[in-house]
Amino acid sequence: MPQHTVASFDQDLKKLSGLVIDMGKLVGTQLNHTLSAMRKHDVTVAESVIGGDARIDAQCAEIESLVVSFIAKRQPVAIDLREIISTLKISTDLERAGDLAKSTAKRLVTIGGDAKLSGVAASFSTLGERVEEQLANVMTAYANRDDKLALEVWAGDVDIDMLHTSLFRELLTYMMEDPRHIGYCAHLMFCAKNLERIGDHATNIAESVHYIITGQLISVERPKGQSDSGI
Amino acid sequence: MNDLSVAKSVMNAVPVSLPEKISIRDLKFYYGSNLALKGITLPLYANHVTAFIGPSGCGKSTLLRVLNRMYDLYPGQRAEGQVLLDGANVLDPGLDLNLLRARVGMVFQKPTPFPMTIYENIAFGVRLYESLSKSDMDQRVQSSLERAALWPEVKDKLQANGLSLSGGQQQRLCIARTVAIKPEVILFDEPCSALDPISTAKIEELIEELKTDYTIAIVTHNMQQASRVSDYTAFMYLGELVEFGETTATFTAPRQSRTQDYITGRFG
Amino acid sequence: MAFDSKRYARRHRVDGVVTGLCLFSALSGLFVLGLILGTLLWNGLAGLGLAVFTEMTPPPGSKGGLLNAIAGSLIMTILGVAVGTPIGILAGTYMAEYGRHSKLTSVVRFINDILLSAPSIVIGLFVYTIMVAPFGGYSALAGAFSLAVIVIPIVVRTTEDMLLLVPNTLREAASALGMPRVKVISSISYRAARSGMITGVLLAIARVSGETAPLLFTALGNQFWSTDLTAPMASLPVVIFKFALSPYADWRQLAWTGALLITFAVLALSISARVIGQKRQS
Repeated sequence: MPQHTVASFDQDLKKLSGLVIDMGKLVGTQLNHTLSAMRKHDVTVAESVIGGDARIDAQCAEIESLVVSFIAKRQPVAIDLREIISTLKISTDLERAGDLAKSTAKRLVTIGGDAKLSGVAASFSTLGERVEEQLANVMTAYANRDDKLALEVWAGDVDIDMLHTSLFRELLTYMMEDPRHIGYCAHLMFCAKNLERIGDHATNIAESVHYIITGQLISVERPKGQSDSGI
Repeated sequence: MNDLSVAKSVMNAVPVSLPEKISIRDLKFYYGSNLALKGITLPLYANHVTAFIGPSGCGKSTLLRVLNRMYDLYPGQRAEGQVLLDGANVLDPGLDLNLLRARVGMVFQKPTPFPMTIYENIAFGVRLYESLSKSDMDQRVQSSLERAALWPEVKDKLQANGLSLSGGQQQRLCIARTVAIKPEVILFDEPCSALDPISTAKIEELIEELKTDYTIAIVTHNMQQASRVSDYTAFMYLGELVEFGETTATFTAPRQSRTQDYITGRFG
Repeated sequence: MAFDSKRYARRHRVDGVVTGLCLFSALSGLFVLGLILGTLLWNGLAGLGLAVFTEMTPPPGSKGGLLNAIAGSLIMTILGVAVGTPIGILAGTYMAEYGRHSKLTSVVRFINDILLSAPSIVIGLFVYTIMVAPFGGYSALAGAFSLAVIVIPIVVRTTEDMLLLVPNTLREAASALGMPRVKVISSISYRAARSGMITGVLLAIARVSGETAPLLFTALGNQFWSTDLTAPMASLPVVIFKFALSPYADWRQLAWTGALLITFAVLALSISARVIGQKRQS
């Protein structure tokens, strides 16, 4: 794309884009720490995740105020308008994803270093890695304006839905086996749900990226995994 | 490549069902031997506002001046192709230009009140076509000034010279004058470029109101204005129509990169 | 910034000298004008009396007035302007409105400019050749005609200039209402250019009312009262010319008085032209 006549226009857009990419990295790190806390039953790491969310919120607030002043000053249209609106939406999605990581970490702290039910650990790990991958890919798609990758992420959410459903059933089975596991498993169910929700936010971001690049909203219904979990 | 595919490539989210008040078909325009419009095909939908945008010299004002044959005032300028107003070709050499201009009114870049009273500025044009009684004429002058949102400001000084009004008021007087002869189409040639923001806002609001009764075309250099007042936008560049479509579509997701570069300020 | 006080002082001096020169030139122009007016008043006022306006030009050595000359001047000026103004305005209208881009207009403009600066004696000779010599007699008609020939280029010029000053946007706006061309010109262009055009006509009157040379060859002059357009007719400039060069004191006195009358008539016309012109700007 040719340069904008006003150089600071392009600089402002670049700065915003950079902030969003940084924010994506922060959320990725938070998610990664949450997953590793889960794997290692490490309460200290989980607590660091809870404390780290404030940075993401601050980053989101900074992006919002920059977007507002950009719109007020520059009245963007066409690709600039799509970019700026999507920036706002993506930062909100990332902020929500950060919150979900934090909420998961909180439950891990509540559960404590309990190492019971190592059977679900593998399933959690698979789900978590898939969510991490989706988030990383969508942020790459955003950074490189890669519509193909964004659409892959968008279509890939179906895996996460299926992994979540099967993990849900697994946890249900454990609860039925021994009612003493119910409290513990209920927490894990919420953790699984949180991870699935992070995946949804990655999908939302993929839609925003597609909108930036093409100007089109994705109009077809997103393919869903089985949702007989009833949620 | 056939004409249809050319036309399709520039059309962005255009409905096909709206009635066309004016249909421009393969319009070419020459200043002497200089080709200024290179085959424009474009509809002006009835009771909608169509904005022409593009860099200086792209031909948008030229296009507007073809629609009421204003170019006929100057020798050496000629148009080819068709401009159909309700199906009849405006470029027909036998056409009565004065009747055409009574149907297709025009408001100019600079306010151009005539050197006469406010009342006369409006009554003058009306008298060309209608002989109204004094009270009918008073009524017409008042309703025109009301239509142009100027009545409250001038109702006590109708006998004052039109030139004594402020720039924004003068421009609204010109709109009132145009409305008074009951045209079907109104062409605005950068109507706000000499006005302050408040006057501009008033005129923009007026255009919005006028479209219930008239088909409107507006040339503007102000992108924001085009996006605010128009339903359809035509982007022109170097005498060609680059893109035509719904204003919302054009300003959020233009099809052509040239349109995008221009409206986002990345021209060059 | 380094302030060079020497350069600054020098610039100040140059500025003072130039201002002084300008002021001197302006004052000397005014001084000459004042001298002329003063001389006229001094010499002319003495002869000014009721008789000037009631009696005919006298034979040498007797009392008289300038009535026949004043009347003759009025008649021929009015006639000349009445003939010349419409022609001038129509020609100017053609040049500025209809034929702005035509070849004819540039030819007419060129010829008109020559006519504008042609010595009036040449015009007098021309009219003498076509109207006096062939018909074997001097006449007021020939005089009025030669004045009209002088009026035309002035009015053409001012009409064209004034109409060209009317912004095209105004014509376009009028045309955009579906106004026919004739109506645009008569109701919009003329109205906008009106005061300028009137000024032009007034200046033309001022110019011809002082012309002597063309009248010498055409209307000749007449010692007596005459309103016969086919006969020679008296006029102020010609009377002044004859009387001023005569050896008779009475005649010279009348010449001064006539000069005073013409000068103040022209002055009055110029001032009213100026006033009308200013009204236009406000």
